[in-house]
Amino acid sequence: MAQADRRESTNNPARVAVTAAGVISPLGIGLAETLESLRSARDCVTSVMRFSVTQCRCKTAGQVSDSRLLASYAQIPRSGRLHRASHMMIQALKELVAQQPEFEPELMVVGTTSGGMSYGERYYRSLNGAGDLRHAPTWIANYPAQKPVIDAQTAFGISAPCQVIANACASGTNAIGHAFECVRSGRYQRVLAGGYDALAEMVFVGFDSLQASTPEKCRPFDRHRSGMVLGEGAAVLALENLDLARKRGASVLAEIIGYGISTDNFHITQPEPSGIGARQAMERALESAHISAADVDYINAHGTATVFNDATEGKAITALFNGVPVSSTKSMMGHSLGAAGAIEAVVCLLALQHQFLPANINFTAPDDDLDLNIVANEARPAAVSIALSNSFGFGGTNASLIMRKFEA
Amino acid sequence: MSLAIAGMGWVTPLGTGVDSVWERLLQGEEASATTISDRCVDRVYSVFRVPELALKGISHPRLRRASAISRFAAVAGLHALQSAGIKLESQNAERIALIFAISNGGVTYTKRFYHEIVGTGAQAASPLLFPETVFNAPASHLAAILGVTGATYTLVGDGAVGLAAITMAEELMANEALDYCLVVGTEEIDWLLCDAYRRWRLLRMAPPIEPFSKQNRGMILSEGAGAIVLARGGFVTIERAHPGGHFRRRGEAEKILKRILFDLRQEEIDFIISSANGTFVDQAESQALQEVVPNALVYTGKPALGESVGGSGLWQIILAVQALRSKEIPPVLHADHSVRLRLSLLRTPMPSARRAIVLSCGLNQQAAGLRMAIQ
Repeated sequence: MAQADRRESTNNPARVAVTAAGVISPLGIGLAETLESLRSARDCVTSVMRFSVTQCRCKTAGQVSDSRLLASYAQIPRSGRLHRASHMMIQALKELVAQQPEFEPELMVVGTTSGGMSYGERYYRSLNGAGDLRHAPTWIANYPAQKPVIDAQTAFGISAPCQVIANACASGTNAIGHAFECVRSGRYQRVLAGGYDALAEMVFVGFDSLQASTPEKCRPFDRHRSGMVLGEGAAVLALENLDLARKRGASVLAEIIGYGISTDNFHITQPEPSGIGARQAMERALESAHISAADVDYINAHGTATVFNDATEGKAITALFNGVPVSSTKSMMGHSLGAAGAIEAVVCLLALQHQFLPANINFTAPDDDLDLNIVANEARPAAVSIALSNSFGFGGTNASLIMRKFEA
Repeated sequence: MSLAIAGMGWVTPLGTGVDSVWERLLQGEEASATTISDRCVDRVYSVFRVPELALKGISHPRLRRASAISRFAAVAGLHALQSAGIKLESQNAERIALIFAISNGGVTYTKRFYHEIVGTGAQAASPLLFPETVFNAPASHLAAILGVTGATYTLVGDGAVGLAAITMAEELMANEALDYCLVVGTEEIDWLLCDAYRRWRLLRMAPPIEPFSKQNRGMILSEGAGAIVLARGGFVTIERAHPGGHFRRRGEAEKILKRILFDLRQEEIDFIISSANGTFVDQAESQALQEVVPNALVYTGKPALGESVGGSGLWQIILAVQALRSKEIPPVLHADHSVRLRLSLLRTPMPSARRAIVLSCGLNQQAAGLRMAIQ
């Protein structure tokens, strides 16, 4: 990294462009499939087949097909040993690199919650007499959270320092938000940011034990909502100093203009009931973007569909905004934890580029306590110039990101 | 931008408190190893544990059910703030950021939680344990204890993650809305970790850790926490944090370490706080140090304190600060005398020491460094 070139210029902040993006999620592999699923409001939640869920209340999740995920990477040496999370990161980065092959990141910031958890599970099960430990060194080597990030970089000859943020379900938004601030401050010119998480039994059972997940459909902000379903995937965005991006002729997909983070300290698994943490994150993002709440055209809500989360987020949105369209795209693909914020940033990017509002599916009836303008069940065309994306996590960590349609 | 160290807190197998642990290191003491076993597997490992007395006096409702890692972090974090003379109140709670550096996280509760699933089934899974398995649980507890309402981040990585957290702190402090950044590196021990590192050929079954030995006999795991408060001005500064990078194979670690040292090198580097721990790291560091800074005195604290992985980077920084302040450096224990490095084999006075490099090579492909100076 050319550290000598770094500029510290908080007084004259740089504009931050998104010049490329890659995504893989239950909605599809790549931006085109994702856009198609969003436009058709597809329900991509299916029965869990990866591990036994017979004793769980919830039996479904948003899942990435292994046959499609793994088939593409037979050419990578030892790819069979890599964790699924590595394959997801490689797929997302492959799409990004194809758009901007000359993009040389100085830093990579990625969010996750679980790393290579399922390899840890295999190791533990084998250790306890249920299997063969010959592959244990491979599982152990591929378990650490930074491994999928390094694998993805290696696959495309990238060698940037990486920061892996594990702020629970806010991780992906925190990663992009922090990367945004790094470019805006002038400290870096080009940063890769994103998030990943692969479905794992332990995490699935954990949310089930908390009765946070539902045996029914995921219905964010609905009067009859009963909980979340989990998901998985990865997304990566190329963030770049806008002036430099234009100078080199890169196409600009959108701008990131604001980021807010807060910690509410109420409870390790529950949000502060008044919504103060969520509200502070959104307020700080608006302040960071130098815009007012009235300027926001669309909110991609955290919207897990748990009773408490949606109630607090709904209160916070109502307190700050007046009738702005809101949807939780987790209704279509599940909650991919550390990847969620990154995938939802891509959803906002597509909404800004293609001028539509993604749907909040499975919506049957509004919650009388929430005065929200839900984009119910169908995506619809709309003029979207500014989109805000929320992510809130265990431990009371809250993050909001604001993106703007790029006008040349 | 150079940040200054405004306060420090330290929880180690040699006890709690920066000055008392430092004094024991100067005396050439090393932590006592204990054994750790598993109820299902008949194999015992040696580890360096934090003595129970070291956590005496810490109580908070958030820590009642919290894992050891959260308690270590809370003690170190509170000590660091206390030594910096910072009292957090609602007016300044937004003006401090909290960054945690972690490698394995709350592994004890994670194992217990999953053990119930494997043994009895999903219906036995404990909703009380699950939240403690999340990487950011220790940060969440400390944020709640302190009342931090602004930025809280947990970074995950290998032994180099502590230095990555310093780089992140620099990035956050570019925002003038922040006055301080509290950086905490922490780790706890579990039998499962020992077994995993042994299968990966990085652990030895019993002490000592023999740094820079050609045999690479392995490391001994330890636990605890290190915390530092970073401010904009002060006596000991981090002149430059180098974000480092990653290496694909162990044999490539030397190359990136050399690059870090070249970038950090100045005319006078008085000493190096190395991350040598008895593994492949030592060879890589030794080669890089010989080539780039052959005249600097080299110290590693890992033979005395063990390998605390996520906590180790912060421990190295605390060692560097103490050496710069006290103008002496402890003896490196159990070192191979034949190594072509200027090792600190005895307690060594350094009356004119002004500048040091902290070098960290992790066990899982990451490396980073930073340069510190005393005014």
